[in-house]
Amino acid sequence: MEINSTHFLLFFIVVFLIYYLPLKNHAKGQNLWLLLCSYYAFGVVEWRMLPLLIGVTGFYFFLGIAIARNNGKDERKASLLTTFGTLTGVGVLVYFKYLNFLIDAFTEMFLSLGLQVGSHTLGIIMPVGISFFTFKLISYIIEVHRGHMPPCQDMVAFATYVAFFPTLLSGPIDRPKPFLQQLSHNRTFTYPSEHNQVVDGIRQTLWGLFKKVVIADSLVTFVDLGWNKTGESTQWALALVALTYPIQLYMDFSGYSDMAIGVSKMLGIQVAKNFNYPFFAQNMADYWRRWHISLTSWLTDYVFMPLNIMFRDWGNMGMILACIINMVVVGVWHGANWTFVLFGLYHGLLFIPLILNGSFTSKKKVKTEGYLPSIRHVGKMLMTYLLVAIGLVIFRADNIISLGHFVSTLLMGNPYMEYESLEVSQFPKTTFFLAVLLLIAEWIAMHKKKEFALQLSEEWKAWGRYSVYMLLVLLYLLKVGGSHEFIYAQF
Amino acid sequence: MNRTEVLEQVQDIFRNILDDEDIVLTDESTAEDVEEWDSLTHIQLIKAIEKAYSIRFTSREILSWNNVGEMLDCILKK
Repeated sequence: MEINSTHFLLFFIVVFLIYYLPLKNHAKGQNLWLLLCSYYAFGVVEWRMLPLLIGVTGFYFFLGIAIARNNGKDERKASLLTTFGTLTGVGVLVYFKYLNFLIDAFTEMFLSLGLQVGSHTLGIIMPVGISFFTFKLISYIIEVHRGHMPPCQDMVAFATYVAFFPTLLSGPIDRPKPFLQQLSHNRTFTYPSEHNQVVDGIRQTLWGLFKKVVIADSLVTFVDLGWNKTGESTQWALALVALTYPIQLYMDFSGYSDMAIGVSKMLGIQVAKNFNYPFFAQNMADYWRRWHISLTSWLTDYVFMPLNIMFRDWGNMGMILACIINMVVVGVWHGANWTFVLFGLYHGLLFIPLILNGSFTSKKKVKTEGYLPSIRHVGKMLMTYLLVAIGLVIFRADNIISLGHFVSTLLMGNPYMEYESLEVSQFPKTTFFLAVLLLIAEWIAMHKKKEFALQLSEEWKAWGRYSVYMLLVLLYLLKVGGSHEFIYAQF
Repeated sequence: MNRTEVLEQVQDIFRNILDDEDIVLTDESTAEDVEEWDSLTHIQLIKAIEKAYSIRFTSREILSWNNVGEMLDCILKK
């Protein structure tokens, strides 16, 4: 049940009506209703994995209480329990997501050493959303252990945090404290009101739908053709494919995130932010502060910071090492593939010049200029975009062989090409034009400190705002029907 | 050395490391209140404080602080 499907729309209408009508004065009732609906949504996608989700939720609920009981009394036991919980979460993730990959890698390693071993990969089904809910669970016990929050005593609220359906399948990855605080009181829907969360949520969902269905799904054909028929594509077409993919991925994933955040707002819950206008970043460190924020901030808190503290006496070398390990984890989080390891390593290495020249720990953060950026800043943004696009070539490749084939054809062409399947003229110009307009709108929104570009301010007359909304709906209706799966649903 | 003196000294370290003379710290200050204080500059601040007081924090201590007040408690305990 994808968030942009008719099934989801019908499901959400029922959720919404019961949530705000009979249950509007009952926080616990609303939480229980959200939990049942979340389990239903998860079950529709993968009912066989529902016991796993419920099982790990119960396990971490009691583990959190046990850690808190020992905090300040028996520090060693509290640390041991936290380590055990962290390893269990990582173990679950490794088993379902990486075990086959590790078996293959070890088999190949032994074979290359001349040792004959049998290769038996297991028929493991990867539960949907596992990369997201295991990270939520690990985050919870670490926060309790660090004393940043008390353990949750309400099992229904805790299970709702873990399984919350708008974000269960592809994030954003919420932190326990701000999320659980919102479940402690009932959510009401009052209209009209000046800052109505439900109305803002509808706007953000519409914006996300437009990004996903109108732009991302129109760029996907061109990009996929370049990857599926690399040997039958011209060099210039492949260069365009590589330069287009960041926009496709951004429109797809940030579109999904806008929808997840928007749907959550409609339920009166503010979830974590995932994007902050990443294409206006002026260097790679700035880019990673703006891209998939809920994942990068999670890894900053629980991987990069502990490593950086541990390596703090090693100067720049310590920071470089912490960055490289952190970025490899970012890459590997996406899946069991050497391309993701390489993607992480590439980004880790890009931090080296930033650390050495001091701009990584610059005392003054990169400031955004006035409405019209200087040529120097445009140059920096374009250079950052180019580096991101190169990284995403590695990310997009199905495997190392496909990556090598793409890069060699891009750089040297294919002298044996018999049939040309993809050339520059097939580039979807109209969609690209729409994407540029959207990015201009985002540039303005960033300067006005808006959360997303469709938060049209009260300066707009009502007819102007509604004309924009209707135009987006119209463009959406013209495009709907040929939708593709969300890219991040696979992670 | 009393708590107020330590707070003033730590504030000077913050101003020096973060290159901002306008920083004013209280027990309740967090990274959200000081613009340049993030996960990267945090480690520079810790190193500078450890050097100034010739002390060594454990990872557990550093990661458990919720605000400047808890950091000061930790310095005073050492």
